[in-house]
Order: sequence, then C-alpha cells, then structure tokens
Amino acid sequence: MSALPPPASFAPAVESLYLAHHGWLQMWLRKKLANAADAADIAHDTFVRVLASRHRTRIAEPRAFLTTIAKGLVIDSWRRQEIERAYREALALQPEQLAPSPETQLLIVETLARIDRLLDGLKPKVRTAFLLAQIEELPYAEIAQRMGVTVRSIERYVAEALYHCHLVLAD
Amino acid sequence: MPQPATPAPSAVRQAFGWMVRLQSGAADARTQRAFAQWRNADPEHERAWQRAQEVGQALRADFGALPQGAGGASFEALQAGAQRLSRRRLLAKLSVGAAVVGPVAWLTGELAPWQRLAADYSTAKGERRSFTLADGSTLALNTDSAVQLRFDGTQRLLVLTRGEIALLSGVDTASAIKRPLRVQTRDGLLEALGTQFVVRLDADDSLLSVEEGAVAMQPALAAAGAERGVARAGTVYRLSRSEAVPADTGGLDPTGWTDGALVIRDMRLGDFLAELGRYRSGHIGCDPRAAELRLSGVYRLDDTERLLAVLPSVLPVRIDYRTRFWVQVSMR
Repeated sequence: MSALPPPASFAPAVESLYLAHHGWLQMWLRKKLANAADAADIAHDTFVRVLASRHRTRIAEPRAFLTTIAKGLVIDSWRRQEIERAYREALALQPEQLAPSPETQLLIVETLARIDRLLDGLKPKVRTAFLLAQIEELPYAEIAQRMGVTVRSIERYVAEALYHCHLVLAD
Repeated sequence: MPQPATPAPSAVRQAFGWMVRLQSGAADARTQRAFAQWRNADPEHERAWQRAQEVGQALRADFGALPQGAGGASFEALQAGAQRLSRRRLLAKLSVGAAVVGPVAWLTGELAPWQRLAADYSTAKGERRSFTLADGSTLALNTDSAVQLRFDGTQRLLVLTRGEIALLSGVDTASAIKRPLRVQTRDGLLEALGTQFVVRLDADDSLLSVEEGAVAMQPALAAAGAERGVARAGTVYRLSRSEAVPADTGGLDPTGWTDGALVIRDMRLGDFLAELGRYRSGHIGCDPRAAELRLSGVYRLDDTERLLAVLPSVLPVRIDYRTRFWVQVSMR
C-alpha cells in the first residue's frame, strides 16, 4: 500500500507532521482495523481534518493528537454504517412505494449520520424526546403521553437537547 | 472555532427555554409578554436569543432535509443506531491492544408488552441476534442458541437451554424493587452484580466470562447455604453441576462474537475449527498434525467459507472440499 502524496496546499507545519507521522499512523490504523484500504483512507482523512482545524500552534504530542482524530473518524465511519443499516431495515418494513430513490436514500443517510454525531452524548430520554419533536413533529403533549412523563419534562428535555446542539455547533 | 462573542451559558439556556415554551403551542399572550420582557431586559439576553435562532435554523436545515412520508424510517434508524454499539464502547474497543472490526448487523427487536412475559428467543446456526429487554438489559444470542425469559415481580431470570448469550444488565427502572438478574443453565445459577458477561453452554459444563462488574456463581448441586463464588471482571470460570473453577478459553476472546468476529490469540487450529463449526452446517475434519498449528487474528463470522479459504495463506495447510458440507484440513 503506497502512501498518498500530501495535498499540495498543505501548510508547512502540517506538511512536516505528514512526512514525520503519516506512515506510522497508517500502520497504527492497520493494526486496529485489519483492513488496509480503510486504514489508508482514514490516515488521509485525518490529515485533511488537521488542515481544516486551522491548528497552527506547535503540537506537543503529535502522535497522540493524530490518533485522537483518527479514532474519531473510525468511529464516525462505523456509526454511519450502523445508521445506514438501521435505516434500510426500517425502510424494509414500509410499503415499497413510499421508499425514496436510491440517490435520496444516500442523502438521507448522510443527514442521519450528521444528526447522530450532533446528538452524541445525550441521555436516551432526551434524545428520544428531541427526535420525536424534530422528526415526527409531534406536539409535546403527545410525546409526553408516549413517553409517560409530563409535558414540562418534555420541554426540559427538548431545551436540554437544543443547548447541547448549541455547544457542539459552536465548537 | 468559538464565536467572537459567545453569549453567557445561562442566558443561552434561558433562550432555549423560551424557544421551547413559545413552540409548545400553548403559548398565550401572557407568555408572549413575559418573553418580550425577558428579551429586552438585558443585551446579553438578546444575543442569546439570536444564538438560539441560529441553532434552530441549523437544525431545520438538517431535519428539514428528511422526507416527511418516510419520517418513521429516519426516527427508527436514529433510535436503533443509538441502541447498538455506543461511541463510548467503540472507543474502548479502539483503545485496547487487539485489532477490532466494525460493528455487524444486529437484528434489534423491541417486543410488544404481551410478548415480554414469557418470551422465548432463539437463533439458527450461523445467526446472531440482539434484543433490548423490558428492563433495559441487552441480550445477544450467538449462533444456534435458545433462551427463555422468566421475568416476574421478584427476579429477572433467563434460562439458557442451548448455545451462548451475552448480557449487559439494565438498570430495571420500571420495577419498584430491585430485581436480581439471573441466568440459569443446566449446571447452575449465575447472578449479575451490575455487569456485562457471556455465558456459554457446552456439552459438559457452562463457561462464564465476565467483561465488566462481577457475577455470583451457584452450582446446581451446591449445598443450600453454601457461600457463592464470585467471578470478577476479566475472569473466566467453568461451572459444572458441582463446582465453579477458574478456566481459560484457549486463546479465544469470549466476547468477540458480539462484534461478529472470532478474535483469537495463539489458538490451536483444531480448537479454532471446532469453534468455527458452531457457526456453519456440516463437518470440518482436521488431521492431528495440522490441529496443533497455532493461529492469531480477527476473523469475521459473516462469511465462514471465505474464512476457511484464507487459512492456506496464513498456515501451511490445504483445504479439501469432499462435499459442500464435508471439509478436510490437512498439512500441505
């Protein structure tokens, strides 16, 4: 597996990081993933992420820094697979004529994966209440009845979820 | 990147509180007036309100892209996706030494209330399934396994009659009293002490592997008042009708199958093939010399034929198919 060349626009700091650690990161990922192609993709995406993060100060622990980003990307890709599988299973239970086109399905899965990432870390009840409000667009009273809690609790859950989104989006 | 002037957290929280109240449909003129008052009371409140609106818009961009008609599928996907491997657990797997594989397709079944009382779960050879139980526990069944649920007012009992299960005990919030979570096999009774563990019913005994927490063990023939042994996280025990003794799994990671893989370290090929035989129909023979070869790695269970086919590339062996269901492994 040959290493991809660093993108031409790499800033000097990132370029030296790339030259010094790309090979090591790819090896580290190969040991973790047992799949060379995935390891190469994620090693590459890790550096793209470093570049996008506008991280210009010197990085004290470059390998710890890189593996942290790489782990996040691996988990994102696994979670995306899980979401996609769950979505297709849910679709399979619906009448076929309701199913969106394959292209639309792909866009929906992307959106669902983004939402899943955004909501990561929410308590299950908060997550459920928020999803029922946002996706199903149920009135709070109906969500409260379904979940067996008061309307006031649902309001608190939804506000909490919104605050969580605010923090993640501000990051 | 932090925003140039991020409003104070408490103001942002209040802003979302107002947003929710105003959207709840029950917002009357009084609420509207109170909201206007709050908004004008402090420039920080106005900034927080602007931020709340921004977040609302960003969310509408994503949620608005989901089709209304198939909204059910989107909701189901996000709910089911969250119930499977959590990011925290995935991160834990990535942080240990061994290689890992991605999550596999679990069939997550939520049961209707009337099915919860006396449900039987089973899997066919090669099949693996996972369920969320009424008490919040997660039950995974490995290949060729069967379990009966007997939940009542005093205990949560699972009777393992065939194969292997992994249990992640739930908090059981629905019950007013704390009901013990127990697994019964032919060989004895195991009680979860807040925990995650695997129980496997073999021909001669039951194998217990504790991943988190601890499990109390009571062999079927133990005297009534006898003290129960406790298996701690990371330990493996063999439970016979008369006793529980520490054991090892011969190089097999006992929880590997819950991630859809055989995860092995320095395992005898003979033992590996016997293990593999649990997941597929037919006979796998192995000559005695080849059986002593050693093998390590992560082998995905979703295609056992391909898994057999790769063996000659890692060991000096030959695979012969006498019929589709009769495979012989021998030295090259």
